[in-house]
Amino acid sequence: MKKRALSLMLVMAMTAGMLAGCGTKDAADTKEDAGKEETAKEEVKEDDTDLEAEITWWNYPNFAAVDETAGKYEQGIIEAFNEKYPNIKVNIEMIDFASGPEKVTNAIQGGTVCDVLFDAPGRIIQYGKDGVLADLDDMFTEEFVADVDNEKLINACYVGDNAWMYPISSAPFLMAFNKTQLEEFGLLDMINLEGDRSWTVDQYQALIKALKEKGANGAVMFCVSQGGDQGTRAMLANLSGTPITNDDLTEYTINSDAAVEALQMIVDNVKDGYMLNGSAQDGTASIEEFVSGRSSNAILFSPGVYNNNKAKMEFEPVFLPFPTPEGVDPALEYLIDGFCVFDNGDENKIAASKLLIDFICNDAEWGPKNVVQTGTFPVRQSFGNLYEGDENMTYLASLTKYYSTYYNTIDGFAEMRTYWFPMLQAVLSGEDVKTALDGFVEQANQSIANAQ
Amino acid sequence: MKDTNALSSRKKKTTVADIISLILLFLLTFIFVFPFYWIVTGAFKDQKIAVQLPPQWFPTDPTLTSFVTLFKNPALQWLWNSVFIALATMVLVCLTAALAGYVLAKKRFYGQALIFSMFIIAMALPKQVVLVPLVRMINALGFHNTMAAVILPAVGWPFGIFLMKQFSETIPGELLEAAKIDGCGELKTFFNIVIPIIKPGIAALAIFTFITAWNDYFMQLIMLNTRAKLTLPLGIATLQAEFATNYGVLMAGAALAAVPIVTVFIAFQKYFTQGITMGAVKG
Amino acid sequence: MNKQKLYKIRMRETLVSYAFLAPALLFFVIFVVYPMISGVYTSLFNYTIRKFDFIGVDNYIRLVSDPIFKKSLINTLVIVLGSVPIVVLFALFVGLTIYEKHSAIRSFFRCVFYLPVVTGTVAVTVVWKWIYDPINGILNYLLQSAHIINEPIMWLGDKRFAIWAIIIILLTTSVGQPIILYVAALGNIDQSLTEAAEVDGANRWQVFKNIKWPGLMPTTLYIVVITTINSFQCFSLIQLLTSGGPNYSTSTIMYLVYEKAFKLGQFGYANSMGVILAVIIGIISFLQFKFLGNDVEY
Repeated sequence: MKKRALSLMLVMAMTAGMLAGCGTKDAADTKEDAGKEETAKEEVKEDDTDLEAEITWWNYPNFAAVDETAGKYEQGIIEAFNEKYPNIKVNIEMIDFASGPEKVTNAIQGGTVCDVLFDAPGRIIQYGKDGVLADLDDMFTEEFVADVDNEKLINACYVGDNAWMYPISSAPFLMAFNKTQLEEFGLLDMINLEGDRSWTVDQYQALIKALKEKGANGAVMFCVSQGGDQGTRAMLANLSGTPITNDDLTEYTINSDAAVEALQMIVDNVKDGYMLNGSAQDGTASIEEFVSGRSSNAILFSPGVYNNNKAKMEFEPVFLPFPTPEGVDPALEYLIDGFCVFDNGDENKIAASKLLIDFICNDAEWGPKNVVQTGTFPVRQSFGNLYEGDENMTYLASLTKYYSTYYNTIDGFAEMRTYWFPMLQAVLSGEDVKTALDGFVEQANQSIANAQ
Repeated sequence: MKDTNALSSRKKKTTVADIISLILLFLLTFIFVFPFYWIVTGAFKDQKIAVQLPPQWFPTDPTLTSFVTLFKNPALQWLWNSVFIALATMVLVCLTAALAGYVLAKKRFYGQALIFSMFIIAMALPKQVVLVPLVRMINALGFHNTMAAVILPAVGWPFGIFLMKQFSETIPGELLEAAKIDGCGELKTFFNIVIPIIKPGIAALAIFTFITAWNDYFMQLIMLNTRAKLTLPLGIATLQAEFATNYGVLMAGAALAAVPIVTVFIAFQKYFTQGITMGAVKG
Repeated sequence: MNKQKLYKIRMRETLVSYAFLAPALLFFVIFVVYPMISGVYTSLFNYTIRKFDFIGVDNYIRLVSDPIFKKSLINTLVIVLGSVPIVVLFALFVGLTIYEKHSAIRSFFRCVFYLPVVTGTVAVTVVWKWIYDPINGILNYLLQSAHIINEPIMWLGDKRFAIWAIIIILLTTSVGQPIILYVAALGNIDQSLTEAAEVDGANRWQVFKNIKWPGLMPTTLYIVVITTINSFQCFSLIQLLTSGGPNYSTSTIMYLVYEKAFKLGQFGYANSMGVILAVIIGIISFLQFKFLGNDVEY
């Protein structure tokens, strides 16, 4: 009897497994369809204080950690939020830049993705295109758009007519040098500290040579993992005066003759020891080298990164734009921080998520405070200067005019990124620069086609 | 068995080659022991000292700061998750594998060859082969981001079944026959006769499974998302992404992961060695 | 016994056997067999988060012309075929050196060589990352202090070294068990045979070649099998240390499947790679099963 029961169980379990396995696909489809209908209905109302919901918020370490404890600052936001909306329970979950993106993809597949995610357009726009987000059209009120008053920035949040990301702050990526060290070496006059601090490739080359002669370690030309790759692309774009893509985001253009020349220069710099070969180091490690004082400069630094590391830095850094060829303006890449809402098929959750986002970005007290915690600049002009008297930040705020075309929303962006570092690794290990760059552009252009 | 052999042969004269080999062996010892040594000592070093060159070979000024930073993360929760996953996997694998291994070794039935070759072929398959469908299956069962997602797929472990079959071969057929004549039922025979004989094998498999489950980084990476659900290895990997070259904290995490299991291993070394050996070389 | 009675007994045994096999089979079917079938099926689709379109064998055609896949395939084979003989030779060397020593010494060395396994791959990797670190790492520091090299070497960032740097770590985490096995197997070889040979004037090499090695054959074959399995599991080292770089020189199919599936959401394409990987492993297992089957007695 027992044996019969066992084999019966086996058969049943197998069948159940198969059915369940087949079921997932359908579930995902219906969810997608449902999402499209639901979203338009919801309106964010200021008086939704009795809304009941439980939502999950996943956060990259965009806010500087309080007390070296991941999630502690975020917990403070939630407490304040709950004073206003006591019936919305928010679960915070910290993820990291190294494995976070995979976790999100995986969780989307697994149906366990969060409701609110604080990220940047590069990935968020992709989620939007994948049809897993709830649109945030209603949050882009006339008042908000007018307050932001920056078309490029608003465009970065949209695909077609749908807004997928609600921006809170932005900041340019720059280089940074160890100012204290430059002073010690008497090299401070080799950089331009006037006005926008722009400088030429020749001046840059002269400085890193001088630093090497003084025995300082150069910047790490990192190219492992994926994080921070935008910094290395921006560097090449500036050194060569060539944009990464065309303005319509239909084609990559970073294999111009000037780009080949500039990349060759970087390779030679590494060979000559003016920069460090980062074929075994990721962006985080390169920043760690700089903030610990071991590297004299970093090719990727931002106010946010500075903010996160300030406590352990024993020197003063100076922000500089990437050097450019004579007569060419810098073209800065910039980060936009913003939120998206995943459509988990529950209108209540979507509404609650929007309330949370609205609170984080627009609350009179917490809005500006949160921006400051990211160490970046508010997208809302009405927040004014949050860094009164901070020389670095005042300087950085003046750079908006150099913001370049925001290409992180290009089709196939994620796939393109997987080709970039291998290309750098190839040229750093001696492969022909032109062949490698041409190869990259070909693969990258293919990735646009693949994503369509 | 081999101990007596070894004792009798110790009289042999030592040659130059022997001495060179031994020296080489001690050098190798250094390489093999070094990671563990460095983890345990590094955990008590200040971050600055942990990365300094020349390295400080022994923490002259031990500090607990790295542990303080580590425990700001739910490291104890990670430890518990790791222990639970490893233990649960161990129990389930031992039970199912003992049952399966016994009949594969001692019974003759229809489809035996087919089933056994299926297990053998699957033995070498890494999980990446079935990655996407496996994740979908886990999701369909609603196990995503739970410990069950890591434990259950490890249960039909072909290697465990293979090992238990090897052990079960040693059960004398007459014993089973005698039990049958005495009117012992199949289950009773299994629990009263088979289990006591293959006990050392089960012990070996248990330790084996425990270590494998503890170190099954890939499945944990794929299946577990949220910070409170991480295991210790996964937690260390996360810290590595967050702290980059803050080796102090990383070593503290690694020490928390390694010390308990190394202690268990050294304590049970004898059984373990026996188990491994008996499974491979029959008899 | 007549035929019918025999059949009846056989049927009864079969039922009992399947009842005993049921728990293991249940998990095996749900988490291995079914995903395997589903993987083959969905590899014929353009399957992403958004799409699920039948495209026949297009994924496989894409594989053939994908240089990254080719590189990863070669790396996979290098890691597996490279580490197996190294592990066998290494374990044999250690085994031969220690098997005649005092049991305490043997215990000690068994512990030593098994230590990296129990320490755990991720924990061990943390230390190796520091050892190989080009700037702050100990390896370059030692080699430079000894004036063996002048410039720091990117152990994990130089395509000449990266895969071997990985294989060395893999080696330290896989020789523990083979050593234990060899020590035991050597202990089981009939002492009188070797002694008789020595009396007859055979030198060490002859004794090893003619007496010990044949006696070790089954153990060696078993070690080959488990080391092959182990090498195919080599994912965490690559994910944690190189992400497949530099320029895909440490990328394996196992890593690429993960990248395509979870970084890029190209599930169908990832599945087709999984299928190819399974076929390769199937062939290797089949060969081992066929050639080694008689000796190991599966």
